[in-house]
Amino acid sequence: MESRDAATDGEIVRAVLAGDVELYAALVERYRDRFARYAVRMLGSHDAGEDAVQDALVRAFDRLADCRDPDKFAGWLFLILRNRCFAEQRRHQREGHMPEDAADAVAAPERSDGAVERRESAQALARAVGQLTPQQREAFVLKHVEGLSYEEIARLTGATVASLKMRMHRAYDRLREHMKEHLR
Amino acid sequence: MTTYHPSVKRLLDGELRLGDLPPELRAEGEDARRLVAALDREPVTLSRAVDAQVMAAVRHHAKSPARRIWRWVAAPREVELRLRVRPWALWGGALAAAAGVTLLLTRAAAPVPSGAVATHVAARNVVFVRFVLYAPGAKRVTVAGTFNQWDQTAAPLVPAGTDGVWTTTLALPVGQHQYAFVVDGRRWVADPAAPAVDDGFGRRNSVVAVTTQGARTL
Repeated sequence: MESRDAATDGEIVRAVLAGDVELYAALVERYRDRFARYAVRMLGSHDAGEDAVQDALVRAFDRLADCRDPDKFAGWLFLILRNRCFAEQRRHQREGHMPEDAADAVAAPERSDGAVERRESAQALARAVGQLTPQQREAFVLKHVEGLSYEEIARLTGATVASLKMRMHRAYDRLREHMKEHLR
Repeated sequence: MTTYHPSVKRLLDGELRLGDLPPELRAEGEDARRLVAALDREPVTLSRAVDAQVMAAVRHHAKSPARRIWRWVAAPREVELRLRVRPWALWGGALAAAAGVTLLLTRAAAPVPSGAVATHVAARNVVFVRFVLYAPGAKRVTVAGTFNQWDQTAAPLVPAGTDGVWTTTLALPVGQHQYAFVVDGRRWVADPAAPAVDDGFGRRNSVVAVTTQGARTL
């Protein structure tokens, strides 16, 4: 492999499986930030999202031999991260709380007129998103944060477009309810 | 709960534009768009420590003896029991080279209807046994034994693609079975390399013991 940056995911996965463990760093570098926003928005906390991405990358290495199509490593890694996020959410539900810094996961804007107000709205919305069910939250994040179409989300998650729309439409109503103070 | 009008939801889905909404829904539509517009879509950058921590874990796991052992255990492999092959001393000419039996063993998948207990038990105790005979020049080869009442037409072998190699796989019940190959419908051939028993009529038969763990020749 001449350059690890030019190598495809499949080439890297096959090289790692053949014993070149250090090449896995190229996949870490390639996907650590690409999936970070999803994890942070799903878990409502930068730290929790970072832990989830880190854990998913290690788990992916441990199970790399199970990756049936190395050229689709990204989708396979996403499913591992997704399972990790759902497990974390179930743990929070059992313990009866969500991360307290959900609003802090919102990026701080530069100071300007209206910036503070926009940040407050974003923080309120982040808290409201945290009140959705995990399935509603995932559909909302993938469509409105990651910008995926319903068809793309369906391919990624295995859900049907009809069920995704149902989740999303319920999410809209719940968000409206949670945000009614800010919408006035 | 105050819900959005279905058309407003379609607006948020990107299926309608604000101008497509009837005038009485446009204010609701603008509110809904403002709500979604408040979303933070800034990219998230994780600390560089993530790379180091992941790779430290990866290196540790790669060296783990437990991981190496598990990968060795989990790796698929074929189990094959091969018998010694010796020339057929009694055969000159056509079938003179060698003969042998290879037993490739796998447990049967119990293809029986649920609830049939006796059949189920019987099917669970069936093992696939592959018979291989090297018989160059032969036109027809079968295997006959106690498992098919010595019917020399019941279990034909087929050429395996290699010159002179004939093979067939039979599902045999657990137990001890005597058998012999029948070449061209008239020559009964037991493996002279394997222990055999006298059939009481001046012929010698090979013996295979089939267990749920596999099979071996006696």
